[in-house]
Amino acid sequence: MTDRRAFLRGLAAGAVGGLGGVAASAAAGYRLRSPRAGPAAGENAAIADGALPSVPFHGRVQAGILPAPARATAVASFDVTADTVSDLRDLFQTVTDRARFLTTGGTPPAVGINGPPSDSGILGPTVVPDGLTVTFGVGASLFDDRYGLAPMKPAGLTAMRPFPNDDLDPVQCDGDLILQLSAGTADAVVHALRDITRHTRGGMQINWRIDGFSSPPRPAGTVPRNLMGFMDGISNPPATESDGLLWVRSPSWAAGGSYLVVRLIRMFVEFWDRVDITEQEQMIGRRRASGYPLDADGIYATPDYAADPMGDAIPLDAHMRLANPRTPQTAGSRILRRAWNYDRGTDEAGNLDQGLIFTCYQRNIQLQFEAVQTRLINEPLTDYISPFGGGYFLALPGVRTASDWYGRALLS
Amino acid sequence: MALSACGSSGTSDSVITLNSAACGGTWELSGPGWHTFQLRNANTVAAEVDLVDPGTGGIYAEVNDLGPGTTAPMSLDVGSGSYAFRCLFDEQDPLTGPTVTVAGHAAGAAAVVPITYNDLIGPAKEDEAYVEQGLETLAGQVATLKGDVLRGDLAAARRDWLTAHLTYERLGSAYNAFGNFDDEIDERADALGLSNPRWTGFYRIEYGLWHGQGARELRPYAVLLASDVAALLRSWPQTQISLVDLGRRAHEILENALEYQLTGHDDYGSNTTIDTTLANIAGTRELLTVLRPLLAPRYPGLPAVYADLGRLQSLLEPVLGAAIPALPARTRQAIDASCDQAVEDLAPIASITEPRNT
Repeated sequence: MTDRRAFLRGLAAGAVGGLGGVAASAAAGYRLRSPRAGPAAGENAAIADGALPSVPFHGRVQAGILPAPARATAVASFDVTADTVSDLRDLFQTVTDRARFLTTGGTPPAVGINGPPSDSGILGPTVVPDGLTVTFGVGASLFDDRYGLAPMKPAGLTAMRPFPNDDLDPVQCDGDLILQLSAGTADAVVHALRDITRHTRGGMQINWRIDGFSSPPRPAGTVPRNLMGFMDGISNPPATESDGLLWVRSPSWAAGGSYLVVRLIRMFVEFWDRVDITEQEQMIGRRRASGYPLDADGIYATPDYAADPMGDAIPLDAHMRLANPRTPQTAGSRILRRAWNYDRGTDEAGNLDQGLIFTCYQRNIQLQFEAVQTRLINEPLTDYISPFGGGYFLALPGVRTASDWYGRALLS
Repeated sequence: MALSACGSSGTSDSVITLNSAACGGTWELSGPGWHTFQLRNANTVAAEVDLVDPGTGGIYAEVNDLGPGTTAPMSLDVGSGSYAFRCLFDEQDPLTGPTVTVAGHAAGAAAVVPITYNDLIGPAKEDEAYVEQGLETLAGQVATLKGDVLRGDLAAARRDWLTAHLTYERLGSAYNAFGNFDDEIDERADALGLSNPRWTGFYRIEYGLWHGQGARELRPYAVLLASDVAALLRSWPQTQISLVDLGRRAHEILENALEYQLTGHDDYGSNTTIDTTLANIAGTRELLTVLRPLLAPRYPGLPAVYADLGRLQSLLEPVLGAAIPALPARTRQAIDASCDQAVEDLAPIASITEPRNT
């Protein structure tokens, strides 16, 4: 037991300590909140006060993929620093244990006089889940010669391909692992990031990261807006099409996973704000105020491109029309879009560094995201945006039970 | 797995009143499981309150600096065993309340026999002797450096600067363990600026030696460094090493290396921050050596600490002389990860070796 979990020995020892030996589990000593649904008496009522309920962690697919974007998110790419495949396994088990605790909520162990506090305390003495979801995935570089995983690499998992108008910064691209933490509030997200990195110090290092937020729908009942002022992600495939469009079937270890594309897209918002509203709406294909397609009344109305072959109502090169032409030939390239806004200081010229954390899920990156993005090459919007980072990943299959762990089928 | 066992454990939240006549009075435990006690200091002076195993004197949990009239929570996972509150009111003899026993074989938080001031005197003396010996070596080495600069032999000065600086870094000075001397001897330019004549010490000389400054310009700094080290050596026998700091430095030395050396921040031109980190590891190992008799029976993570330091060392040695920003990203990540893990595993030593009154 004592050789396992190289990256969390100190914490486990500090937390449980004593003369009797080390509990070699990242779950040791953590009291998980009672699994019963909804607030109950006492402690559970306090947990639910002002916070979102726990999102069940176990399932066939990861719980963070299908829900609409939570208000706060952090996307972090990691490179693995574990020495051996056995350490890699420990790393994935540790991430699983932490995710299970953080999404459930509960009480971190008391350490007595054996070490510093076991938890950062950011969420107070009891960790509230606040709707936290943890989405964990792997990138192509994990399948190099370090851990003997090359034969397991899915053919479609590659480094992110640059498109003609991209300005990709290698320092902010790709990575062995991807971790997305989303919750109702930023403190729950930061707490989770601090907790997971603390328990995996020796096993992985952050490669790049970005924080984002999703806005409340304004006005109420509509769809959250991006920082160009437009509603973002109105048209997504319905849940009934998930099996056909989202979930990976092969290789078998990846069944129930989904390919995740992350694109970090700077928006030149000052420039954008100087653009006439008609030009803005023609570039997007929708009304900024209402979110309606330019040819219809209703946010969710289906634009009738067949009736508009010359692009009189919705220009042929409008973003919405190129991305999803709504033809039988392009139906299979639809993706599940999940976007967050980012806002992080200024650039060297004093312009606001704002933009979009675009993420999307699909069964096949080449036939879906890349097909969509190929249609978007040289769209008019490219003058106002600059994709600079992100990567291609495979969000792993869900953790099904209390004894299951991320990537078990890949690493067992 | 621990999960199912702890999800259903009982809880309690009881008020324990402490005063100069009774430490807790009559109290009870409903059984094993998670308990939170609200400790109320009804005395007129501040208190330290420990929950102890009266048989061994081991401490399950503690609350320090509980002011008069205030209340603070104490939480722990209670297992089978004996429990009593012990109050240490300022200026009063320790007072131990009635013992409560939980029967059976339930696992819970372990009681750790605390380390006392007395326990730390031996290790502190060993550490003082180590530092004194190091300072004597250092005094000779900075005198050599001074001679090089006075002679105008800057090639020799660059070589001898490194020798002396690493000797200093092996002493394990972190966060002003040497008081004001550390400012004179090893100060960074951050607050003063590179051109400020009040910036002195090893880094000032490094900056000059590796940025084309002449012997004439560096002469006053070499003279001053030699005299500052001599003064530190002279004052050392009168210096009182803080017993609390002894265990804290176990992780602080490498926390410093992580912040200033492995980021390249403290590279003033010589590209020797990796050497410095290795010297800091040696300083950390020395502290572990003197503390080992106290740690071995109390800290199950100690073998992991040695493994961490060995791993870090083995990653640093092949890249000696490299500037940190020039390292390949993967190499740097591996080094950072190893150092991160080392400080994580070293951190509990500060809590475990904190001297406690018994």
